Amino acid sequence: MITVPRPVAPPEGSAVRPAALVAAFATQLRVYRRAPTALLVHSVFYLMVTAVLSGLWRVAVAATGGTMAGYDPTAIVWYITTTEAAILGVRQRLIEDEGEEIVSGRIELDLLRPAAVFPLKYAAQLGEAGPKLICSIVVGVTWARLFGGAIADAGALALAGLALVLAVLVNVAAQLAMVALSFWLHDVKSTWFLYQKLVFVLGGMLLPLEVLPATAQTVAKALPFMAMAYVPGRLAAGHVELGLLGLQALWLVVMVTAAAVGYRVGLARMVRHR
Amino acid sequence: MDEPAPAIETDNLQRTFTVGRRSRRRTIEAVTGISFAVRPGERLAFIGPNGAGKSTSIKMLTGILHPTGGAARVLGLVPWNDRLALTRRIGALFGQRSQLWNELPPRDGYRMLGAIHGLDTATLEANVSDLGERFAAADLFDQPVRTLSLGQRMRCELVACLLHRPAIVFLDEPTIGLDLVGKQQFRDMLVELNETLGVTVFLTSHDVADIEHVAHRAIVVNHGEIIHDDTVAAMRRSLLRTKRIEVTFDHAIDTTELGRRLARDLGTGVTMTGPGIRREPKASATSTATVEVDTGRHRIRTVLDHILVDGRVVDLTVVDPPLEQVIGEIYRRPTAGDRS
Repeated sequence: MITVPRPVAPPEGSAVRPAALVAAFATQLRVYRRAPTALLVHSVFYLMVTAVLSGLWRVAVAATGGTMAGYDPTAIVWYITTTEAAILGVRQRLIEDEGEEIVSGRIELDLLRPAAVFPLKYAAQLGEAGPKLICSIVVGVTWARLFGGAIADAGALALAGLALVLAVLVNVAAQLAMVALSFWLHDVKSTWFLYQKLVFVLGGMLLPLEVLPATAQTVAKALPFMAMAYVPGRLAAGHVELGLLGLQALWLVVMVTAAAVGYRVGLARMVRHR
Repeated sequence: MDEPAPAIETDNLQRTFTVGRRSRRRTIEAVTGISFAVRPGERLAFIGPNGAGKSTSIKMLTGILHPTGGAARVLGLVPWNDRLALTRRIGALFGQRSQLWNELPPRDGYRMLGAIHGLDTATLEANVSDLGERFAAADLFDQPVRTLSLGQRMRCELVACLLHRPAIVFLDEPTIGLDLVGKQQFRDMLVELNETLGVTVFLTSHDVADIEHVAHRAIVVNHGEIIHDDTVAAMRRSLLRTKRIEVTFDHAIDTTELGRRLARDLGTGVTMTGPGIRREPKASATSTATVEVDTGRHRIRTVLDHILVDGRVVDLTVVDPPLEQVIGEIYRRPTAGDRS
């Protein structure tokens, strides 16, 4: 006869081995080493999108007398170039792909490894985003310098580089937090669709938040999406506002916590009720 | 001498699922209370028809599903409470769900899995090299997974399960979709890892050949309960009430006529199987017949005497019917639930 201990929640968050996180990150780098054309395709796509959008915005700014909401033609090119780099670096269908893992039950495989699920997924996604971000920065700086001209404050650009990294960290964490909703909501496609549109508009990817009506601007600046695109764009456009980096750091903590808790609670629910 | 502690032990393990919403809510009993023990080093086939509770049981034993009742210990651990500790000591292969990266060679995937299991580089390399040599799979480790055949990929997947030298491997229908050669190679690997590494094998499969070639013992589940638990050899002996006689004559005979005569002389319990008239090409001028005998009604010797009347026999074999037939008979038995 076996004694029956009381069931307790699986300790999802208790096993994070740094070497495993490094390995998860490095494994994605190896994928690029095997298939470097993926980075070439990404760079070409990024350049096309950036060229079209920044060209349109430069014409629009010029048509309104040379500045729009504090952005001159040079600043708007750097803004769009930077926001596109921040968003396109992250896997486009992350929510859909990872959500499908949960809905289909394939995530069970991850439970058969001695490691917490969320940190490994986070590290793997950052491994995928990192090289894309570096390519985007190289292509983007070249494009903005040639097409938009130089930004007067070089310090702002350095801060924008830091903000780009934070933007990707927040974006990936936020997307994984949305993925965790798949433990309860099984419609991952609509989750992804909604998230994408919010980032496009309220995140400031397609336009600086300053051009939005006052109320929409207030709402947008209170949401985490601004940390994913607007902040690095604003800094790259020459506005040295250190408080924006603080906001990014705050949203990073919030999103990582939300994703970690979401996975922990969702997995615990799955092993009990699935 | 003391018996070693069981590698796996369950006591009235149960799992129910609630499906549907509100007024249509109903409870499904996937596993209704199974109790068994598996000795270290045993090769166990855990079999049953679709929906019998096999996968639910294997999920509870690997700790990724909580039971709704009963108890279990795997290597002394309660799987659903000690899941992380247990994953360091077991390996699992669920169907063809891959743990490797399509774009990368298995060796790169092994590096990642080694890091997760906390293996240092030297230990990982030694284990990969040893398993590659043992299973003649080393030449596959440097090709991208997407270029491997399914059989090759499954061999690499099994190696991935064994990198951390688990004491038990759980395999849930691992040979689905493999061709004959792939299946045979995979079965050989399971036997090899059991015999040389002492790994306990817990296998579910619908392929009877997997059970015949790999398992010492079979537990048959249906409707969430165990309906048979015995060695594969004993299962054949206890359940087989028939034998097959395959006989080849040195001349052409009408086997339908032979069947009629056996039925007339011996009554029920002797049936011809296969085509009515089976003749080999004229050059050899032989014919073959297969006769199934209910050994509860007739002695094999008596049936043979009646067959031999028909002429010169050049070959004769008495065999058990396929295990598939035996298992089919077990599935059709009423369970305790059916009887109550």
